[in-house]
Amino acid sequence: MGDPLLTVTNLETYYGPIMAIRGVSFSVPERAIVTILGANGAGKSTILKTVSGVMDPQKGTVTFAGREIQGMDPDKVTRLGISHVPEGREMFPFLSVRENLMMGAYTRRDGDRVKADLELVYGYFPILKGRADQRAGQLSGGEQQMLAISRALMARPRMMLLDEPSLGLAPRLVKEIFEIIARINREQGVTVLLVEQNANIALHVADYGYVLEVGRIVMEDACARLLEKEDIKEFYLGIKESSVRGTRRWKRKKTWR
Amino acid sequence: MAVTTVYGQDTVAKLFRHVARERGERVAMREKHLGIWRAVSWRDYGERAKRVGLGLVALGLRPRDVVSIAADNCPEWLYTDMGTISVGGITNGIYTTDAPRQVEYIVNDSGTRFFFAENEEQLDKILESRAACPGLAKIFVFDMDGLHGFQDPQVMPFEALLDLGARYDVEHPGAFDAMVEIARPEDLAILVYTSGTTGPPKGAMLSHRNILFQIAYADYITALREGDQQLSFLPLCHIAERTVSVFNPLKTGATVNFAESIDTVPDNLREVAPALFFAVPRIWEKFYSAVALRMRDATWPGRLAYGWAIGVGTRVAEARLAGRRPSLARRLLYRLADFLVLDNVKRSMGLHRARGTATGAAPIAPELIKWYMALGIDMREVYGQTENCGLATAMPPERIKLGTVGIARPDTEVRISPQGEILLKGPHVFLGYYKNPQKTAETIVDGWLHTGDVGVMDADGFVRITDRMRDIIITAGGKNVTPSEIENQLKFSPYISDAVVIGDQRKFLSCLVMIDPETVAQFAQERNVPFTNFASLCRTKEVQDLIAGEIERVNKQLARVETIKTFRLIEQILTAEDEELTPTMKLKRAFVSKKYKDVIDAMYTGA
Repeated sequence: MGDPLLTVTNLETYYGPIMAIRGVSFSVPERAIVTILGANGAGKSTILKTVSGVMDPQKGTVTFAGREIQGMDPDKVTRLGISHVPEGREMFPFLSVRENLMMGAYTRRDGDRVKADLELVYGYFPILKGRADQRAGQLSGGEQQMLAISRALMARPRMMLLDEPSLGLAPRLVKEIFEIIARINREQGVTVLLVEQNANIALHVADYGYVLEVGRIVMEDACARLLEKEDIKEFYLGIKESSVRGTRRWKRKKTWR
Repeated sequence: MAVTTVYGQDTVAKLFRHVARERGERVAMREKHLGIWRAVSWRDYGERAKRVGLGLVALGLRPRDVVSIAADNCPEWLYTDMGTISVGGITNGIYTTDAPRQVEYIVNDSGTRFFFAENEEQLDKILESRAACPGLAKIFVFDMDGLHGFQDPQVMPFEALLDLGARYDVEHPGAFDAMVEIARPEDLAILVYTSGTTGPPKGAMLSHRNILFQIAYADYITALREGDQQLSFLPLCHIAERTVSVFNPLKTGATVNFAESIDTVPDNLREVAPALFFAVPRIWEKFYSAVALRMRDATWPGRLAYGWAIGVGTRVAEARLAGRRPSLARRLLYRLADFLVLDNVKRSMGLHRARGTATGAAPIAPELIKWYMALGIDMREVYGQTENCGLATAMPPERIKLGTVGIARPDTEVRISPQGEILLKGPHVFLGYYKNPQKTAETIVDGWLHTGDVGVMDADGFVRITDRMRDIIITAGGKNVTPSEIENQLKFSPYISDAVVIGDQRKFLSCLVMIDPETVAQFAQERNVPFTNFASLCRTKEVQDLIAGEIERVNKQLARVETIKTFRLIEQILTAEDEELTPTMKLKRAFVSKKYKDVIDAMYTGA
């Protein structure tokens, strides 16, 4: 897969006095899907925010395509080719679907290519085409997520940062959206850094995974191998060996190996 | 004749009944429940223990039946322990970290009839193995959380046992008092299984007399009064914690506070601020590392003040070690250093009220004891083993020789055999191994307990332990090396939590190192060393260099043949559940040497 497109080294990010990221290093190869798993408050979103420039790290470097981008303004980062799909979608509810999508292309100057991309996006999410003139606020949760991903795509990014695309969606929709993410990755060559709590789907879609616990990476491996790990099975996939009594409430100690 | 009665009582059962009556409403122990420390009086302690004992009798317990307890430290552990002993039964602790098949082995080896499980997790272990435990009659559960819908004819909640005991008491008045009289001083009281680093665990038999003899000297380290606090957190299955937290308070009346868990020990320690604190070297090393790291991050005036104060403290400690009284000026300076700095350091650890502290159960670096002495903490090294019911030697208050484990405790003898083995004699020597006359005969010869430790004794009777008999390394060149001395030096580094020196039948010495995940991660982070998980942290050049530097520091203090030529890191965070570690978190040499054979061989072929 060649040199990593994104390399993060020793990142430390604070919320006021609280250290949210306690020295995290990882890399994302070009054209790969890499996932970061973790519970609430593990620091997953903070990592994405730090990469996309919404937050500035206290320490550490973020290298994108050979260039250090930590602490850069978000608009500059976007221009460099990183699109952030934030948690909770964050679209503009009173703008139409089409206007939302055009907001995604705000940084671009190549007008006719934008038009072609609009069609491309509609190709991936036909339902958005039908709702092009509706206000984005009237879309269902799944449609809003599709819109958020499409809007990011409209910037023609080299890399997309996806923050919990499965949040609040029905299982069937989650499956659908993840299939499209995989297609976008395959067909458009967009590198994806995916943050998820739904470990099952993330590990099946991604190539490589990191597990984050309270601001530190505790485990990393190819997703196929992560799926076989005992701790992943019990704590992230909810697969438990049942005890002699048939049920079990107590948890094993996490060892991360 | 040695003292083997306490308050005129000659068995643990009688002593417990006596003090529970005498002390009444005074506080025996505290347990934190939903964030609040709740007290248990001696009267309640006595009453609940009695109900446990009588409940077991109602269910068919006969004198000398074995009762096993698989629970972390909690009041119920003590109720069960004292209750069982009171009615003539024998208690045996099982480590909560033991795997089901280890539990099965101990239950069968000891012939356990009644099993007490702390909670669902421990219950599952015994349920898994009970089909292979024909002697087991009944299982009790302390904490029924998550077991509401669970019904099993062999399993009973602890509360139900207490009710049963209370009913039995009403129906058979006076029965309990008669049972307390059953045991004779020379009778077996408890079984303590020793962690088998070689072969299966063996059950050491300790008598009432053994225990009372130790209780009689409960004040040996520091005199405790009623109202003094202690913190209990080391496993009660271990004889040292059992003596300190269960037996000795029968004499001293000190209040035992149970730590919430091993992770909360530093917090609980600050809350309790005990008068006496006993810990294993690993804990002392951790406290020291925490202060050392905190001082490194401190502002420069802070570092300066700390450096000055520790300097003053060290000179006072050195004077004490040399048997001199420091000059008046120095004593005044020390008062100032204590007031300005040292007292705060002690407060941050929760040791500002500690009149006495002790370290034992594993070797410790003398530098570490000196550091605590410099803080003004009276730390004494003690030595002993399960087979002598705890204390065998201790550092006397009037004369401290660092690097030794002190002198034989009163009314006992210590001798060094021609082979260099430490031998013990006295009323503390155990009865033997349970149902294992052969091992017993190997261990007690002509009344002398063969400890398996190698050591020397100086003219003043101070004992210095060099190593375990079977751990001594003989290099290919024929040189005898005592690995634990080197390992202790290594462990003094804040970055190394344990190490195993290897070199038996080999050309040179090497070692396997278990790094401290916290301090090393902090080290890497400060220097911008990228790493992801623990294994990648171990592999970074900077960490390898760091540990190499620590080993070099130790090498400088060693003779030429003894230096460590190469090392490898253990690239996994080990927990007490892992077989590599004993329940007290020491690396098992034999097991580690076998498990990491490939890694070890690579050190000798590659070099």
